Amino acid sequence: MIRVRDARKSFGKNEVLRGVSLDVKKGEVVVILGPSGSGKTTLLRCINFLENADDGELTIGDLSVRFKHATKREILSVRRRTAMVFQNYNLFNNKNALENVMEGLVTARGIPVSEARETAKRELDKVGLSDKYEAWPSQLSGGQQQRVAIARAVSLNPEVILFDEPTSALDPELVGEVLAVMRDVAREGITMVVVTHEMSFASDIADHVVFMDGGVIVEEGTPREIFTRPKEQRTRQFLDRILLKYDYAI
Amino acid sequence: MGKLFDIALVFEYMPAIFSRVSVTLLIVSVSVVGGTLLGFLLAAVRLYRMPLLNGAAVFYISFVRGTPVIIQMFIVYYALPILLSQVDININRWNKLYFVLISYALNNAAFMAEIIRSAIASVPVGQTEAAHSVGLSGFQALRRIVLPQAFCTAFPAFGTRVVGALQDTSLAFTLGILDMLGQAQAIGVRTYHVLEGYVAVALFFIAASLLLEKGFAWAGKKLLPNAG
Ligand SMILES: Nc1ncnc2c1ncn2[C@@H]1O[C@H](COP(=O)(O)OP(=O)(O)OP(=O)(O)O)[C@@H](O)[C@H]1O
Ligand SMILES: [Mg+2]
Repeated sequence: MIRVRDARKSFGKNEVLRGVSLDVKKGEVVVILGPSGSGKTTLLRCINFLENADDGELTIGDLSVRFKHATKREILSVRRRTAMVFQNYNLFNNKNALENVMEGLVTARGIPVSEARETAKRELDKVGLSDKYEAWPSQLSGGQQQRVAIARAVSLNPEVILFDEPTSALDPELVGEVLAVMRDVAREGITMVVVTHEMSFASDIADHVVFMDGGVIVEEGTPREIFTRPKEQRTRQFLDRILLKYDYAI
Repeated sequence: MGKLFDIALVFEYMPAIFSRVSVTLLIVSVSVVGGTLLGFLLAAVRLYRMPLLNGAAVFYISFVRGTPVIIQMFIVYYALPILLSQVDININRWNKLYFVLISYALNNAAFMAEIIRSAIASVPVGQTEAAHSVGLSGFQALRRIVLPQAFCTAFPAFGTRVVGALQDTSLAFTLGILDMLGQAQAIGVRTYHVLEGYVAVALFFIAASLLLEKGFAWAGKKLLPNAG
């Protein structure tokens, strides 16, 4: 279970998060929607302390921390309960696919190498990369890199995986393979918070949809509620725009 | 006096001149090893923007890179004894070679610091963030992810600097160090055949530089098969 209470974050004078509260139940898939600059990435980055929020509280499972007063130790334990999938994959360039998945298991978790290797192989198999164990990131397509990144996140068995626009950097023909892997992950019952513009993914997979704008959550609900009868004007405008742009039918 | 230039003498002088190669190699080794260690410290000061020290490091690096090494050597040779005499340390009887080693190490530190700093800075911040996201501590991220990648970036520039350091050693003779160039000069004074000795030294530098360059290129391929 993840709970964010009243998260606030400014960059200089720019108030990016103005008190965001979010509840994610175990096994739930939450999709965050919102226009560019609304603070979606910042929210995810605050949840695993890649960004230090100015105020607010975070609970992950039995661990509660105040954003402002988190110690190094607490930050590390938050990070060991979360995993992140980045827009630009961010695979370790000095490691092959297998080593990318093993790194967190061995170095952060202290799992023996042989055991970590088996886990890593299993996770790579699950994302359809059983023939790419030894491949360097530069030898993989964007879709393959992102699938390695998802395997890397899943292998850590975190309480939540944060996805920040995992398909936005991909060529259109590679989006499908990554979304398919994400559907599998969701089906396994792994808790996910996903920032995405993929509306069909959101409406199929999400248990809960959150619409952010201007650093606050404007509206949230089930996919059905948000997509078919949004209450707020801003939500409606955003959906109209995005559905037009991406030419989706839901 | 005979011919102005006698090619046979080049080879005749070679054994005497090359017998001093150890001095040259000593200067190169100390300046590269010492310079790299100091360079790491300077790079850390710059990267972590340590207050006060950062400004000093910036000044030091631009001073060293902006002035000829021979001037730095003279400064160390003449100023260091005065400076240390203030704290009652007398180094006037030191072997001149020590001054040379110190100057070259200090000189290389500035170059190495920039090579190290820019290599580390060139590793995308996303690499560190990904490392943190899988639970690595700051130190683990540096050791496991950032430094190995920075090493790949720095390696060619490092090789170039080692070759540069080798050629810089040729100024040591101005303090009266009897390295290869000093020896060539001594022979020249004795025999009035100046040119032949210098040609022998030049041949050494060409060969050694080529060897180093090829060596670094080869090692680069061996060490960094997946670079890029
Ligand atoms: N490191 C930073 N320094 C300064 N400003 C930042 C930083 N990161 C984000 N911002 C600002 O914070 C605001 C929100 O950014 P954020 O990346 O969270 O938006 P987003 O909802 O993820 O947008 P997008 O859909 O474009 O990814 C933007 O105005 C951005 O310019
Ligand atoms: Mg974003």
